[in-house]
Amino acid sequence: MPTFESIQRPERWAVPFSREMTDADVDRLLTIEPFASVDPTRFRGTVTLRGILKNDTRLVRYRPGDIVVRQGDWGNSAFLVVTGNVHVELGSAANLPNEILGRQPVRRKSLFQIIAQLWANSADPEVRDVAAYRDDPRIGTRGSGEQTRIYLQDVSTVLSKYQTAKLEAGQFFGESAALGRTPRSATVFAERPTELLEIRWQGLRDLMRRDDALQKHIDAVFRDRALKWFLMNTPIFQHLDAEEINVLVTEAKFETHGQYDWVGSFKRLAKQGIDTDLQHEPLIAEEGNHTNGVIIVRSGLARLSRRYEHGHRTIGYLTPGQIFGMDEIIDGWLGKTPKPLANSLRAIGIANVVTIPTHLIEKLLLEKSDRRHLTRRGGPKTDPLASRAKIDTTRINSDFVEFLVENRYVNGTATMLIDMDRCTRCDDCVRACASTHDNNPRFLRNGPIQNNIMVAHACMHCEDPVCMIECPTGAIHRDLEGGQVVINDQTCIGCSVCANNCPYNAIRMVEIRHRDGDFIRDDKKHAPIVKATKCDLCSDQIGGPACQSACPHDALIRMDMRDVQQLTDWYTR
Amino acid sequence: MNTFAARRIRNLGIVAVAAILLIWFSGVMTTALRDTARASGWGLFAMICFLAAYSLRKKLPFLPLGASSRWLQLHIYVGLLTAVVFGIHIGWRVPNGLVELLLATLYGFVFVSGVVGLFLSRSLARRLTTRGEEVLFERIPIYRKRLEAKVESIVFEGLEASQSTAVAQFYADRLRHFFSQNRNFWQHLVHSNRSRFALLKEMQAYGLYLNDPEREMMTRLVTCVEAKDDLDYQFSLQATLKYWLFLHVPLTYALLVIALLHLLLVTAFAGGIS
Repeated sequence: MPTFESIQRPERWAVPFSREMTDADVDRLLTIEPFASVDPTRFRGTVTLRGILKNDTRLVRYRPGDIVVRQGDWGNSAFLVVTGNVHVELGSAANLPNEILGRQPVRRKSLFQIIAQLWANSADPEVRDVAAYRDDPRIGTRGSGEQTRIYLQDVSTVLSKYQTAKLEAGQFFGESAALGRTPRSATVFAERPTELLEIRWQGLRDLMRRDDALQKHIDAVFRDRALKWFLMNTPIFQHLDAEEINVLVTEAKFETHGQYDWVGSFKRLAKQGIDTDLQHEPLIAEEGNHTNGVIIVRSGLARLSRRYEHGHRTIGYLTPGQIFGMDEIIDGWLGKTPKPLANSLRAIGIANVVTIPTHLIEKLLLEKSDRRHLTRRGGPKTDPLASRAKIDTTRINSDFVEFLVENRYVNGTATMLIDMDRCTRCDDCVRACASTHDNNPRFLRNGPIQNNIMVAHACMHCEDPVCMIECPTGAIHRDLEGGQVVINDQTCIGCSVCANNCPYNAIRMVEIRHRDGDFIRDDKKHAPIVKATKCDLCSDQIGGPACQSACPHDALIRMDMRDVQQLTDWYTR
Repeated sequence: MNTFAARRIRNLGIVAVAAILLIWFSGVMTTALRDTARASGWGLFAMICFLAAYSLRKKLPFLPLGASSRWLQLHIYVGLLTAVVFGIHIGWRVPNGLVELLLATLYGFVFVSGVVGLFLSRSLARRLTTRGEEVLFERIPIYRKRLEAKVESIVFEGLEASQSTAVAQFYADRLRHFFSQNRNFWQHLVHSNRSRFALLKEMQAYGLYLNDPEREMMTRLVTCVEAKDDLDYQFSLQATLKYWLFLHVPLTYALLVIALLHLLLVTAFAGGIS
């Protein structure tokens, strides 16, 4: 009889959101709205209301001025005001400056500063100016470890200078970003001592499933705030008037497929290699089925595949904003007979999709279009009706496509690809990177290779940046101007959450030093101070990514994987 | 079509047209009894300065001086064109002065090393993907040391298991030398597997006289030999790709110095009818 080690089967709440939630806290929450009105009998089986409150929520206390979330942050939770109040910055006139939010605006170096890198770069690795951590009076931080918070030092001035909306006890915020896996749309801060209930995504989903009022409330808020804006900015609907958009908003179906925290399962799956069964990926729409409507990816990624022998062959992928099922609807409408789906669509990790019913597509788009245009669609690159998600597998080997999708490299907006047939291993790219980062290279010229293309260990500046989720100070953030994911060295507390979350091992934790070479230590335990570092796409330089421009052999490129055409052209040079 | 082949054809076409025009123009000027040596000399000097400036560009990656790949394309095709300008300048004959001969020789070495370097860059890079794992050049000694240690441990473990010194003897005679350094540099460079096959064949033949535990050891050693040979292959090709520049670049600087001397001499002794 074989021997094996056994463990208790992990269950839904094996790891609660917070171990500090007590039964007394749960009792108290059950007496306040909206939980007081929730019918506990709607919760059956193991997922109870008490269980959700105990395991999927946590009570967080904020002091006056504490920033709860910043515009552009990524998070996986929504908030309910329990006591006190918070203010949502409306941003209609002016936004709170990045500096007081603990973000470092990306400042390009002057020509002199750039030239000075010739002689001013440090001899030791990871040298920092200690004064930079001490001297900025605009940034207020308090707390320690993962409880560190950035706070506004003069709340009254902020309230008088910037337009905000007050949220009182019983009101929710942050649910759209949590459910849609999109960046926070506004900055929220506490005005006075405030207690918030933070509900993680899974708990919010279960509450919505079992409480109609909550479902309606969040659904209405989401449709009004997020979905409307999304549809208005989707190219195929841009010509519609407000009334037609409202019709779309009302009838659109919003679904989430996959796991919110896909990183853990991805790391496990990555060890198993490519799996053409695709059993681990949730099916959004299946090849051969009837077309219910056009599916638009709102966030996340989706795999386009077709049955091939006993497996599924990947023929492309969809990134946010791309559409699925339009060809079948148009062909069906032109031929007057419904067409089944030619491909399957699966969530890669997680995908939030919006489905617009077929009858609305026919009424609002097709009936108003020229039949000749519909027949010849896809010609010009700007044609919004053209499907851009498919990869021309006559030009790119399908195993390379499988490799990119299976390893989620398609998540990158600046994935570093190196053509090993042209790379002479001269390391000019590494030297250039080091020269522009005070002699600290921010990537490794190493990584998995497929079809002689290496995906180097460099930050890909992901479409779905899981590294940003859970950063306690928001130090890692997406630059609102350039879109690159950058780390504010000043507010990084070295907690490693981002490095552990990154599925591509692109973030390194480093111990920082004085200019004289000694480690900078904290004043209490005297342990070296640690900071997260990674590629910033040379956002402070004037010449763009130095690695790419330093490659003499056109071997290295920072590829926006959303642009399938660019990828194909580069691959088949 | 935006492919490398199309780019190569276009650039070679431009260089060919420019070369024909230069030769034609120089012929016309010579027929008109005009001095072409001065113009071609200055032109050649300017072109060589531009070619040498690529090295400077590489040292300033943070300046927006254009992509290095564009510079390399210009470097290659302007470099090719210098051969024509050089030919025009020396009148398509071997120079007779000592400095001129030295200058011409240096130019020849720089030109040939450049062409060879280009060939190596294009061919060896592709060949590196055909054998062994991708390794960083600086880490090759570490991997070699690890392999050497692994082989030694196999041999020492085997001594006890097999109660025989046959494999240990073979290791001492034939393998220790192979694992102690990077081997077969030139053979790998010309893509020859002769030594690898010879050693593996020898191991196979030796296996006929071994007992079962020793044969099992030998199988493990064969895997290590193959891994070491692949590592040597990577070393040989990567070292060549790195070190050919150590010939090309110093020769270029020497060429610049002698060219400057030549310029000084020519200017100092420039006479003619006033």
